[in-house]
Amino acid sequence: MREASRDRIKAFLTLLPSMILVGVFVYGFIGNTIWTSMTDWGGMGALALDPEKNFVGLANYVELFTGFLGSGFRQDLVNAVYYSLMLLGGAVGLGMFIAILLDRKPRGEDLLRTIFLYPMSLSFIVSGTIWRWLLAPQGGVNVLPTYFGLEPLTFDWLSSRSAILVFNWQDILRILLYGVSLVCILAGVAVLRKNRRKAMRRLASGVAVGLFVWLFGDVVPDAYMMREEHGFNLATLGIIMATIWQYSGYTMALYLAGFNGISQDLRDAAMLDGASAAGYYRHVAIPMLKPITISAVIILSHISLKMFDLIFAMTGPDNAETGHPALNMYLTTFRANEFATGAAIAIVLFLIAATFIVPYLVSQYRERGRR
Amino acid sequence: MKKALLSLTMLAAFMLLLVGCGEAPEKKEAPAPAPKAEAEAPAPAPAPAKGNDLEIFSWWAGDEGPALEALIDIYKAQNPTVNVINATVTGGSGVNAKAVLKTRMLGGEPPDSFQVHAGQELIGTWVKADRMEDLTPLFKEMGWMDVFPEGLVKLIGTDTGIWSVPVNIHRSNVMWYIPANLEKWGVEPPKTWDDFFAAAEKLKAEGVVPLSLAQNWTANHLWESVALASMGADNWDALWSGDLAFDSPEGVKAWELFGKVLSYTNPDAPSLSWQQATDMVIDGRAAFNVMGDWAAGYMTTTKKLEPGTGYGWEASPGTAGAFMFLADSFGLPKGSPHRDNAIAWLKVLGSKEGSDAFNPIKGSISARTDSDLTKYNAYLQSAAADFGKDRVVGSLAHGVAANETFMGGFASVMEMFINTKNAEAAAKACAQLAAKSGI
Amino acid sequence: MANVQLKGVGKRFGDVEVVHGVDLDIRDNEFIVLVGPSGCGKSTVLRMIAGLEAITEGEVLIDGQVVNQVSPKDRNVAMVFQNYALYPHMSVFDNMAFSLKMRGMGRDEAEEKVREAAQILELTPYLGRKPSELSGGQRQRVAMGRAIVRNADVFLFDEPLSNLDAQLRTQMRMELRKLHMRLATTTIYVTHDQTEAMTLADRIVILKDGAIQQVGTPIEVFEDPDNAFVGRFIGNPPMNILKGVYRESGGNRCAMVGKSCFPVVEGKAASLTDGASVLVGIRPDAIKMGDAVDKLPKEWLCHGEVVLSEILGGQSHLEIVVDGETRLIAEVEGRVVAHPGEVVPIGFEFDRMVLFDPESTNTIR
Repeated sequence: MREASRDRIKAFLTLLPSMILVGVFVYGFIGNTIWTSMTDWGGMGALALDPEKNFVGLANYVELFTGFLGSGFRQDLVNAVYYSLMLLGGAVGLGMFIAILLDRKPRGEDLLRTIFLYPMSLSFIVSGTIWRWLLAPQGGVNVLPTYFGLEPLTFDWLSSRSAILVFNWQDILRILLYGVSLVCILAGVAVLRKNRRKAMRRLASGVAVGLFVWLFGDVVPDAYMMREEHGFNLATLGIIMATIWQYSGYTMALYLAGFNGISQDLRDAAMLDGASAAGYYRHVAIPMLKPITISAVIILSHISLKMFDLIFAMTGPDNAETGHPALNMYLTTFRANEFATGAAIAIVLFLIAATFIVPYLVSQYRERGRR
Repeated sequence: MKKALLSLTMLAAFMLLLVGCGEAPEKKEAPAPAPKAEAEAPAPAPAPAKGNDLEIFSWWAGDEGPALEALIDIYKAQNPTVNVINATVTGGSGVNAKAVLKTRMLGGEPPDSFQVHAGQELIGTWVKADRMEDLTPLFKEMGWMDVFPEGLVKLIGTDTGIWSVPVNIHRSNVMWYIPANLEKWGVEPPKTWDDFFAAAEKLKAEGVVPLSLAQNWTANHLWESVALASMGADNWDALWSGDLAFDSPEGVKAWELFGKVLSYTNPDAPSLSWQQATDMVIDGRAAFNVMGDWAAGYMTTTKKLEPGTGYGWEASPGTAGAFMFLADSFGLPKGSPHRDNAIAWLKVLGSKEGSDAFNPIKGSISARTDSDLTKYNAYLQSAAADFGKDRVVGSLAHGVAANETFMGGFASVMEMFINTKNAEAAAKACAQLAAKSGI
Repeated sequence: MANVQLKGVGKRFGDVEVVHGVDLDIRDNEFIVLVGPSGCGKSTVLRMIAGLEAITEGEVLIDGQVVNQVSPKDRNVAMVFQNYALYPHMSVFDNMAFSLKMRGMGRDEAEEKVREAAQILELTPYLGRKPSELSGGQRQRVAMGRAIVRNADVFLFDEPLSNLDAQLRTQMRMELRKLHMRLATTTIYVTHDQTEAMTLADRIVILKDGAIQQVGTPIEVFEDPDNAFVGRFIGNPPMNILKGVYRESGGNRCAMVGKSCFPVVEGKAASLTDGASVLVGIRPDAIKMGDAVDKLPKEWLCHGEVVLSEILGGQSHLEIVVDGETRLIAEVEGRVVAHPGEVVPIGFEFDRMVLFDPESTNTIR
C-alpha cells in the first residue's frame, strides 16, 4: 500500500508539469475561446488595449447559422464536410490500394515506397503552388490528353462554378434528421444477426424518425428565412486531388506497416483456407487493420478540418467556391477584426472535430474497461 | 496515505514558493509604467529604448522593395547613427503583414512605424482603438497642410486628428487596353458602361473576352469602379458617410449593373492572378481590364510596353472626372519604442525628396501637389494631372472608404453575389454589414 | 483421404540447398511424424507439401496427382500452425467457418459443420469469443477445428504443441491421437520433440540436414537405428555411445570398451574383422540393476560405481562409471536407491547393443 501510493505520487509529480502546461495552453485557451465566442468583441475599437467585450450568449452562433451574413460561413462548412468525406475516402482508399500493391513485394518496392511517401514531406504551400499550376485552365492536367493525341480537357479545376448535390439550407434540420434516421437504420442492420432485439429497437426508431420528417416535415422549422443553396462545388475537386496526392502516401505507410506486421503464418493460413489474394485482403488483412483505419480516419479528418495553407496557396482567400471554415476563421479574425465571430467559427470546428474523436475515445475506454 | 497527502501538499507549497521567488526579481527589472504617462494616454509607456533603432514594418518586398530601399537610403543619409530594421512581411495587399501587426499590437509590442492603407482601414482598426498618435502637429510643423490636397487630408484624418503620412497615391478606377488590338477589332475605348456593352457584343463575336477579371479581390476592385459609375461621386461619398443606404434604389442599381458587367468577364477568373488578367489584355485574349495603376508599372517595367502607344488607359467607364484613390501611408503607434527616430522617418516620407525618390520606382504618384513631374513617366504624369483637378474619392477595395470589418464582410457578400447574382440580396447584405460595422 | 508421395523432393534458397532429394511414401490414413533438430528442413518439407513453398526439385503427389503447380487452396490440405494463426478479429465460429465461406458453402451448411467440429473439440461454449479471450489449449483446439471442418484430404501439423506447457502438451497429444483414430485422415506432423514423435506416429521420419536418416515405426527406430544420429536423437535419455575396438578370438566376440569386453551376440555384425574400431551403442534402459540383473547371463554382468542418481518416481536415471573410466547413463525401473560413490552390480542386455561404423556412423548389422 505504502509503496504503491509513493509510486502514485511520483507518477503524479512527473506528470504535473505537462498537466499544468496542457491545462493552461490547451484547455485554458479552449475555454477562453469559448468565452470570447460569446462576447461581442469585434469591429470598431476591437484592437484597443482594453477592448470592450459584452456577453451576448450564443448570438454569434445564431448569426453564423441563420444570419444573413453567415452565408459564406455556411458554404464553407458544407465545403468542409464534402472535402473531409472525399479526402477520407480518397486518401484511405488510394493509400490502401498502393499499400496492397507494394505488399505483393514488387521489384523496386523500397524505391516505390519512398516515391509514394515523398509528397508528404512537402509543405502545403509548395504542393499547393505546384497543383495550382497543374490545374490551371491551360495547365498540365488539362493538356495531358494532348500528349496522346486527344483533345485537351476544358474543366476549370479550381474555378468551376458548378455545384452538385445542391440542397437548400432551409432544409438543413430536416436533412440532419434524415441523417439520424439513416444512421439508426444502418446501426440496426449491423447488429441484426447478433442481437435481434437491439436491432429491432434501432430499426424502429430510425424508421419512425424518417417517417415523421417525411410526413410532417413542415413542423420542423426552416433554418433560414429564405432559400439559400449550398452544394458540393466542383472547384473543390482540384483541392481534394492535391490533398489526396499529398496524404495517400501517408496512409500507404500506415497500412504497409500494418500489413508487414501480419505474421506470414496468417497469410499462409488464409491461403490454405482458400482465400485468394483479394479475399485475404478483404476478409483478413484489412479487417485486422481496423485500428489503423480508425487512426487514419481521425488524423485525416482533423487535417481536413484544419486545412488552411493548401487552400490558401491554391485558390487564395475570398474564394467562396473552395472556401473553408479555417480560412474563414482567419480572415474573420485577423482581417475583419471580428474576434468573437472568429472564435465562434473556431469552436464550431472544434465541435465537429470532437464528433470524430469522442466516439473513438469512448469506445477505447469501453474496450479497456472490458479487459 | 495521510502522510503522502501531507508531503504532497508541502511539495505543492514549495513549488509555489519557488515560482514566487522566480517572479519577484523580474518585476523589479521591468519598472511599472510611469503613472503619469498612464493618466495621459491608456497606452503602454514607451519601452526603455534598447539601442538606437528604427523598426519599419511593411509588406513591401519583391518589386516594391527597391522603392522602400530608396526611402531608407535617404533616411540613413540624414540619420547615420540609427540602425534601421526593415521588418517586411510578404504577401499581396499586406494580408499576412496585417495579421502579424495585429498580434504584435495586441501583445503590446508595436513597431516604431508601420505601413497601412490610408483612410478607414487605418482609422477603423487603429484610431478607433486609440492606438495611434495624432500627427497634426507634425503636419503643421512641416507645412504639409498646404502641399497635400485638402480632400486627401480629410480622407486620411478624422475630426480629432490626422493619423498617417501618405507616401504615394494610386488610382483604382482605370481601364487598360492595347490600342493596336482595339484598332484591329474596330472598337473604341468605352466612355460609359453602355458603350462597353455595345462594344462587348462585337468583341464576343470576335471570340475575345470583353473584360478580363482575376481572383476574388479584383471583383471587389471592379465593383467599386462600376458602383462609382452607377451612382456618381456624390452618392458614393454619401454611401460611406452613412447618408445613403446600401439597399436604396441606387445601391441595388449598382449591383445590377455590376452583375451585367460580370457576364462579360472570363469564367476562369478565380484561378488567375491580376497579372494574368492583365496578360490576357496584352496577349489579345481580352480587350479591357479594370485594375489599379500598379498595372501600368507591370506593363511598363515587366512587359516593356510604352505608356500611351504600347498600352492605353482611360478612367473606367462612367467615372471620368473622378479619381478613386488609395494610398499607402505610415503611422506612429502609441508606445513606439523609438518615437524620435520614427518621427524623423515620417518627415522623410512626407518630404518632396523622399516622395519623388519613392514614387517613380514604385509606379505611383506623389501625394504632394508640388512634386517634380519630370521624374515620372507618361502615365504617371497624366495621373498626377488628373489627381490635381479631379474629384478625389476613396477606394473601398483598398481600405480608404470603409473599415476592415466592412471589407471582410464585403468579401463574403461578393462571393455570395457571384454565385447567386441576386442584386437585391447583395444590397441588403451590404446594408446589414454597414450597420454592423458602424457606417 | 489420400496418400502422399514425395519423389526426390529438394529445396534450395538461392545457393543453399536445405532439403536434399527426399523420397517418402505416405499411405492413406497414416499418421506420419517428421522429426529432427531445428534447421533440419522438416518444416520446409511440410510447407512444400502444403504448397506454401515452391518445390525446386522432384515431385509431390497427393492421391496420385502431381501437385507441384497446384496452388495451396486447391490441394485440399489443412494446416495447423505452431502459433495457431487464428484470425484475431474473428470469433471462434468465424475462424472455423472462414474456409467454408471462402469455398462458397452456404451459411446453414457451414454452421452445421462448425457446430459438429466444435462438439468434437468441446468448443461449443466458446464459439462467440475472440481468440484473444481463449487459453492456449483452447486456441490450439480452434486451430484444429479450423482444419477438421473442411474434410481435407491431408492434415499438416507444424509443431502444434510447442507453445503449450508440458502438462497440456501431454493431454493434447492424447487428444490428437484420439482425433486421428476417429477421423482417420492422412496426417503429416512436424516436431522436434522425439517423445511426441514416438507417442503419436504410425511411422517416424527422422531428418537431419535436409536428408532422411530413417523411416520406420517408433519401435523400429528405437531398437534398430540406422545410424548413430538416430540412436542418439530418439529416446530419452539418449543412447550411450562409446568408442571401442572389435576383438575376435576363437568363438569369443567382444567390443572392447576400455578394459571391459562387451560381448557381441551371435549373428550380429558378422562382417567385422579383428581390430576394427567401432562405436558401441547401448540404450540406457538396456542397463539393469537390482533384481532385474538376475535374469541376465552371468557374463553380461559387472560392477559399476554410481556417480549421480536422479529419481523420477516410476524410474530412475543413474550415471555409472565402469572400470573407472567408462561413463554410462542407465535408466532403471523403480526407485533404485543407490548413493553416489556406492559400487553396485549391474547387468547389460547385450542383445540390444548396436554397433556403428566410426567413419560413416552407420549401423553395422
